[in-house]
Amino acid sequence: MLRNAFRLHRWGMIGYGVVLCVSTYVQAAAFIQVAGTSAAGRAAFAASMTALAGQLPYILPQPFRLDTLDGYVQWRSYGPLALVVMIWAIAAAAAAVRGDEDKQLVDYWLAARVSRARLVASRLAAFGLAALVAAVLGLLGYLAGAARYEQVNLSGAAGKVLTLWLLIVTLFALCYLIAQLMASIRGAQAAGTGVVVVLYLIDVLGRTNHSFDGLSWVSPFKWYDATTVLAPGGHLDAAGVGLSVALIVVAGVLSALAFAHRDVRGPLFALPPREVSPKDGAPSPLLSWPVARLLYRQRWIVAGWTLITAAMAVYMVGLAHTVVDSAINLPGMREFLTHGSGGDPYRGFIAAFWFGIAQLLLAGFAVHLVSGWASDDTEGILTSVLSMAVHRWGVIAERAAAALVGIAVVVAVGSVAAAAMAAGVGTTLDAAAVFRASWLLIPFALTYAAVGAAVSADFPRAAVGVLGVLAFLSFLVYELAPLLKWPAWAADLSVQQLYGTPFLTGVFWNGLWAMLAIVAVGFGLATLLMQRREVGQ
Amino acid sequence: MSEAIRTHGLTKDYGAGRGLFDLDLEVRAGEVFGYLGPNGAGKTTTIRQLMGLAYPTRGSASIFGLDCHRQAVEVKRDVGYVPGEPPQFGGLRGREVIAYLGAMAGGVDQAHLKELVERLELDVSRRYREYSSGNKKKLLLVIAFMHQPRLLILDEPTSGLDPLNQQEFYTMVREARQRGGTVFLSSHVLSEVEHVCDRVGIIRAGRLVKVASLEDLHEIRLHRVEIEFAGDVPVEPIRRADGVDGVTIENHRVHCVVRGSFEPLMAAVAGAHVVNLSSHEPSLEDTFLEYYSEARTEAVASTC
Repeated sequence: MLRNAFRLHRWGMIGYGVVLCVSTYVQAAAFIQVAGTSAAGRAAFAASMTALAGQLPYILPQPFRLDTLDGYVQWRSYGPLALVVMIWAIAAAAAAVRGDEDKQLVDYWLAARVSRARLVASRLAAFGLAALVAAVLGLLGYLAGAARYEQVNLSGAAGKVLTLWLLIVTLFALCYLIAQLMASIRGAQAAGTGVVVVLYLIDVLGRTNHSFDGLSWVSPFKWYDATTVLAPGGHLDAAGVGLSVALIVVAGVLSALAFAHRDVRGPLFALPPREVSPKDGAPSPLLSWPVARLLYRQRWIVAGWTLITAAMAVYMVGLAHTVVDSAINLPGMREFLTHGSGGDPYRGFIAAFWFGIAQLLLAGFAVHLVSGWASDDTEGILTSVLSMAVHRWGVIAERAAAALVGIAVVVAVGSVAAAAMAAGVGTTLDAAAVFRASWLLIPFALTYAAVGAAVSADFPRAAVGVLGVLAFLSFLVYELAPLLKWPAWAADLSVQQLYGTPFLTGVFWNGLWAMLAIVAVGFGLATLLMQRREVGQ
Repeated sequence: MSEAIRTHGLTKDYGAGRGLFDLDLEVRAGEVFGYLGPNGAGKTTTIRQLMGLAYPTRGSASIFGLDCHRQAVEVKRDVGYVPGEPPQFGGLRGREVIAYLGAMAGGVDQAHLKELVERLELDVSRRYREYSSGNKKKLLLVIAFMHQPRLLILDEPTSGLDPLNQQEFYTMVREARQRGGTVFLSSHVLSEVEHVCDRVGIIRAGRLVKVASLEDLHEIRLHRVEIEFAGDVPVEPIRRADGVDGVTIENHRVHCVVRGSFEPLMAAVAGAHVVNLSSHEPSLEDTFLEYYSEARTEAVASTC
């Protein structure tokens, strides 16, 4: 049972383990480059970063000993990783309860005389094991990155890894309990996200206003932040560790009790069935038109990513003044922000940070679109579509056109939000530069979509994994190439590199042609593969 | 009568003896053709070839004279299809699924669609994920019938349907035939094809072993019978009765297998005092195994 449950977490473990490893490695390796080696330089760096931390309490914990490599890694890497592992815990818990039941795995396990309590214990233990492996990979990243420059603090790092592991398992246990109350996997994800985000915001409240310090102790994120053992002079917070263990045990016991008192595939408390009016859900006329019908089916994905992108645009652009003003005196920062921006550091910030984040968001959006196409295939919808008078090439053409429209909507709304926010905070942006950098995001995202279309046309089950790895490697190459002084051809393997820095330096034409070529080849190959493949097996 | 479906040496070889082999089949326009076989016999593989969803290793298949692969889109304008495995439309409502696929099919008469929905008592305002497996099957039937296609290809269409809806489905099939339509219906339930089919093709281990009329089907059909007598058992008349085999006697109880009509057995026990008589139809798999193993034994004996 434990082995089977562990197998179900293996891909999450590998994926998040690699993310943790790369994050700690990159931040450890980057410290010397950004903070320098002199005590005075590091003190100035720490002062600037501390000022910056005050502006970013939603992402970063309170700083501690930022003049040291270990303090910096703890703050800059382990801090935001709480947000990253939160996504894993929510998704894994919803899948472990509702996903397993939807797939009827739980029926088989229970029929095989596995008790409900043992099933809950096995799922928690299996995820705990997977989370431990991922957290240890994060430790290895830190060791690899830090050992090149300084003596590593192994015991301190182990303490931070312990609290990270406890945070992941605590969130999983909590979401596992919440999923017992819900009737569907989406409901479990939504409720889990709601509760975890509230707990995170309570911790953020404590970061921004010390009068909320007491309240913030209800949040597992606070228990995690309270341990500062990696940095010199830091400590392992025993209360935080104890509370985490207690919550895991309580949530596990309550989950077992809830599972024992509910039906498989049913919520703990069932609401009376809703009366459905015959007029409910009249079909949208969009369902009758090619492209529009696919967009209609993916409307929540498009709407969600549009909102996220617009919100991030407003947040990042709104921060431009405060972040730039607090960081401009850092060694090298003025050069970084004004290089190519005509001497305007605010423009430089928006180019580097907003359009950088927009690339990540659009890559994520493209992966989400591809996951929808792959699901159509594995869930039999493609079989239904191809049993109608529809050409196989038409399916790919429709996917390409829907992706183009969806990406254009996300880009347009995000860019308008960014421009409006910039105007609101008094940062003058060159409209032509914003337009240029924005429309180039379309071929950028389509590049990912085209690769995803080709993979999903032949291996739908592998499409999301392959595209996710590709996006991650692309990001990795873009980040590591300058840091590790890789040759230009290696850097050009990154799609981010092909996008260039159009906001500051104009269109990188070779990159654009390369992206368009990938788009054409990707969707062309998808058409060929779809034409010759067998569907529905 | 023209042909609706024709296959020539149609083969899909999955290796290790699995798949479909050298299928030569003709389904006439206007008939209801039952495609009968146990699980894993190759019924769905055949249907996937006809629908152009899978490609043959060799051989060909055509529908109304159009090649099922090269002219797949033209073929499907005339075809309604129910897949064996229902798709997962998630949060879409029933009527949204109908609108989505109906727009692709084209030519859906809304009055006819409404009638279908009412006949099958399908609540199309519910979300697909809320449907039971029977309701999912009903929705797929609505989608297959909604554009009144010339040919219906139905892969085990009644699995999951309750008896009342099964009867409604049989009526719909008969009406489709009366309108001049052709129905190709796969099943592993012998009694089902007897309800509605004009002819039956029997497939086993990937090979078509027989194409029969309904009358021929009765020869294949067998029943396991148990008779309990109050007094002596008329052993010899029972053993001599036509179509009665495998007779075993246990005290006052007789077990035997009856193939075809029950009349000879009833005549054999007519003078005796029968206390109890029970009969049941074995699974199609058992029927086939018994029928074909016997047929093979007889063939071997006749060559000796």
